[in-house]
Amino acid sequence: MAFFDALREKAVTTLNQVLDKNRNSGLTKHQQFCYSHHIPETETILSESAAEIGIKSDYSTDAYNDNLPFPQGRIYLTQSFLIFRDAFDRKNCSFSVHLSTIKKVERPPGSDYGFALMVSTYSKLHLTLYLVGIRSDSERFAQQLKIALKKNLVHVGKLQPFIQTCYSEYLLAKNKVSTEKVEHAPQGGLGLVFKFPGDPKESRDKTKMKLWFDLFRVDGRNLSLVRTPLFYKLVRVGLPNRLRGEIWELCCGSMYLRLDYQGEYNKILEDHKDQKSFAIEEIEKDLNRSLPEYAAYQSSQGIERLRRVLTAYSWKNPDVGYCQAMNIVVAAMLIYMSEEQAFWCLNVLCDRIVPGYYSKTMYGTLLDQKVFESLVQKTMPMLWEHITKNDIQLSVVSLPWFLSLYLSSMPLVFAFRILDVFFLQGPKTLFQVALAVLKLNGEALLNTEDDGTFISIIKQYFLTLHESAHPNSPNPKFRSITRFQELLVTAFREFSVIDEEMINNTRAKHRDTIYQNISSFVKRTELRNLPRTTNISQETLSLLYDRFYSVVESLSVTKGSGTSVMDYKVFVEFMSEICDWITDVNVDDERHFLRRLFNHWDTEKQGALTFTDLLVGLNSLVDPDLMTSMSNFFELYDTKGDGKIDREGILQISEDLLYITSPWKDGVLFDGITKANIENVIADEVYKKQVESGNTSPDQSEIQLPSDFQVDRDKLEQQQVERYLQAAATFIQRAFEYAQPEEEELLIKELAIDNSISHNAALNPNTPVYLNLPTFRMVVLADETYELLFGSTLREATHLERPLDTKFDPIRNLRDMFDGLLADGRKVATKVRLRMDSRAANGGGGAPPNSSNASIKSGAKREEEEEDQDDDDLGVISIDDNDKDLLLATEAQVVVKESTEKPRISRMESEKIIGKSDQNLIEFET
Amino acid sequence: MSYPTPATSVKLVLLGEAAVGKSSLVLRFVSNDFQENKEPTIGAAFLTQKCTIGERTIKYEIWDTAGQERFASLAPMYYRNAQAAIVVYDITKPASFIKARHWVKELHEQAAKDITIALVGNKYDLVQDDDEGQGEREGVRKVSVEEGQNLAAEEGLLFYETSAKTSYNVNDVFIGIGNKIPEAASLASSPEQNNNEGRIDLSTNASSNGNRNLCSC
Repeated sequence: MAFFDALREKAVTTLNQVLDKNRNSGLTKHQQFCYSHHIPETETILSESAAEIGIKSDYSTDAYNDNLPFPQGRIYLTQSFLIFRDAFDRKNCSFSVHLSTIKKVERPPGSDYGFALMVSTYSKLHLTLYLVGIRSDSERFAQQLKIALKKNLVHVGKLQPFIQTCYSEYLLAKNKVSTEKVEHAPQGGLGLVFKFPGDPKESRDKTKMKLWFDLFRVDGRNLSLVRTPLFYKLVRVGLPNRLRGEIWELCCGSMYLRLDYQGEYNKILEDHKDQKSFAIEEIEKDLNRSLPEYAAYQSSQGIERLRRVLTAYSWKNPDVGYCQAMNIVVAAMLIYMSEEQAFWCLNVLCDRIVPGYYSKTMYGTLLDQKVFESLVQKTMPMLWEHITKNDIQLSVVSLPWFLSLYLSSMPLVFAFRILDVFFLQGPKTLFQVALAVLKLNGEALLNTEDDGTFISIIKQYFLTLHESAHPNSPNPKFRSITRFQELLVTAFREFSVIDEEMINNTRAKHRDTIYQNISSFVKRTELRNLPRTTNISQETLSLLYDRFYSVVESLSVTKGSGTSVMDYKVFVEFMSEICDWITDVNVDDERHFLRRLFNHWDTEKQGALTFTDLLVGLNSLVDPDLMTSMSNFFELYDTKGDGKIDREGILQISEDLLYITSPWKDGVLFDGITKANIENVIADEVYKKQVESGNTSPDQSEIQLPSDFQVDRDKLEQQQVERYLQAAATFIQRAFEYAQPEEEELLIKELAIDNSISHNAALNPNTPVYLNLPTFRMVVLADETYELLFGSTLREATHLERPLDTKFDPIRNLRDMFDGLLADGRKVATKVRLRMDSRAANGGGGAPPNSSNASIKSGAKREEEEEDQDDDDLGVISIDDNDKDLLLATEAQVVVKESTEKPRISRMESEKIIGKSDQNLIEFET
Repeated sequence: MSYPTPATSVKLVLLGEAAVGKSSLVLRFVSNDFQENKEPTIGAAFLTQKCTIGERTIKYEIWDTAGQERFASLAPMYYRNAQAAIVVYDITKPASFIKARHWVKELHEQAAKDITIALVGNKYDLVQDDDEGQGEREGVRKVSVEEGQNLAAEEGLLFYETSAKTSYNVNDVFIGIGNKIPEAASLASSPEQNNNEGRIDLSTNASSNGNRNLCSC
């Protein structure tokens, strides 16, 4: 039963993930759950139940908890956590207790409730869960908990070393209210060595410490802490220096990552020891410019820590790498946190709390500026009107607040107070404070008419935050209120309406505009930096750019803008969309013509094409000059670069030419010659009709196409098919006929010995021969069909200018791209699923751009052709070991015989295509 | 066509790669000061400074932008409506010169059509000989004067080499821009000869447009 239940649970969670994606936040319900409880995204709900909770601690001296009514809410079980939240007020009681901290689970004796479980932690915290609901459900919850605890046993070993790194544990052990042995103060922030900013007396650090100490005793600590109203209160009044780092990581959940991935930080640094990267170069530039006024950053110890954390993060998340402002944020964190704490906290900050702030396009920053502006408009319409009327650029003031989390804007002591709340309550804090700053300076700001004064008012305000907010008040109590206190009250009281939901909704509203702005900027920049492409117009370039990103984004997990590259599979997709001559491609075929193109265009030999690579390649592919076109083709096979193509190469060329020309060879497409023939036939017919009707006037407008007229397409097709087969046969024959022997002497010697070679020594497989460019050109030019192939046929069947499928939504793809920026290995799976979600959600509209795009042949026909292709392959390859002349003849015959059947089958198909794909063709059936 | 009036406001934007000294140039110009290890500019900074040229007073509203590549997408916010721009590079860092080239193109394509742009190669102090002589230290300079001049000539820019540290040429940049702005407004498109204290003004073949690159076939 349990197995099926588990299976069902899993199915339900997966389904929920797919269906309940919140459009506004872009998060799935699952993600929202994890985010709101600050637990890693790898957690899923295994079981849940309504419950009432009793909390007791062995170290609780007073019994105030006992007198309070039990909090009621919902309890959830995940792989590693037991989570509770109060149904009425989240802040009343909530916890995310890590399973590793649970020492014992028992059924309490004499419970009046139907079903109760008592969970005891190593920290002597006893949580009694009174499960509400059908008994069998409660039983199942208990069963699930048992299983989860058992499964978690392997992780319990991580607990002890982790405890040693928590200051709370040290504090409790030192004061003998813990059974744990924590003898040494854990490694903490730089403040322990270089003093913490601000005056600890003034901030009443000791009192705060005592309050936290009491809280830990009663409500547990770190991995098993119960959040009560007191917890929130204590965070808001400002955290004591020594506990600040730990509470930060607890509030934002980075603590759980640090627990799970112990040692990873050092491993990353070790793995990338002495390696260089662009991000590291950028980091080095800023190391001496990060909070330079703080003593630690004038010493190598501080600089070293900063360097290591920033570097490790740039390796961990290369898509973000390093962004200016991160140096300031990390420098600030390191005052209160150990390197490892700061590292994981930075991870959560960049991935979860302010995603996109530090990304390569900084879309999150830009978006939140838009959101901020719109919130100003909503909450302070007068000020907003004034700002727009005077064309004041608000974001120049506010952008640094958000990006550096106020650390570069106001004195550090105050910025840290805001950070305390920020880690607890998330990004809305930034907005609330920003709005309060404007509000409190509203009157002065309404009198400014230019950016300069606007900025200086705010600057001055930040510098005087410590001053009294009411210096002239007769009431001494009022006088003692500082501007900073006033700011916090305004931010968190008056702007408490600014909640997560409002921010998410506003973000959703502006997201597309921001993406569009960024994408057009990125596109502009990228197009501008491209090498000259004489055969591709600016408009086509722009289309190709869109197409490149559309296929890159939809077919592969990207590395984000600028670093996006196209692998072979995507390349095939891309080329298939624009080239009529590309038919089924087996991507595993290492000898395929497209593989050759790909390798040749891959200038960095990295197994992938950049947009520039692709463009340079396409530019040469569509060169209108016959001679250049031929030499470009020749170069593909001149792998050694010595201007010679050996026997193997010649065979490969003829094989590839057969492939390239297959649409014409199979009568699917018509080339210039056939078109001319068709035109001639029609012209003849029209002429005949005209003559019959006695109208011989040369006036064009008088000419009418006979509606009942039918061109004998079978015949014309057949002619073309034969012409192509003939060309292929002639090519290989001539290529070998005119190929130069590698060494004249050798040839003479061999001739002397072996007189049996009668007509052409080059055909002897034992004689090394080569084809040079002039010979290649000569062989091509000797055949009208192949000459036309290089002169125009191929180019005209390559549609660089083909517009993108209308179904392609650049915004959505761009969004994926941005998401890609934040991707790391662990998340790739999630992202892939999300992509599938959004495609499914979009219904038909989200079909991949390639599916309906100018597909030339039906599936059935493709198969048929592939078989055909195989026949060709065999024929040509086996030439090597046989008598060439003989084989060539038979091969041609075999192919001719087969091909004669085919056009008839595919006639319907080709009829459609001719009508659609060729504008030059005179419509003769209307 | 407006008459030159006293205290014209000129919106000026600084662009260029990270750590080439944009903020330092501004700090030198505005406060005649220099700081080692200046914190990087986050987003942009805004400063103003008045500058008297002949009989006119120009009030520069200076938008000093962040230099790191990824901040580039914020730049359009700041160069919007700018009448003047200073594109800065570090004469000891070739990559910063390439970046400068990109910024010039971006401005020509996206900014106001009549924008006055000055190309500035900063950190001249690094290549200067210790003894204050005319000579240069060997091998430190990575972007030659000619390269800078050529780019300026191609794109119709003012060109200077400066040192925010020693204040060499810094004011001249702003004076040069100030000189050019009213004339560009009043003389419209007539070619001008405007040699200010031996500075090279290469504006005669101005008004080249960015759209000509990557032409079609």
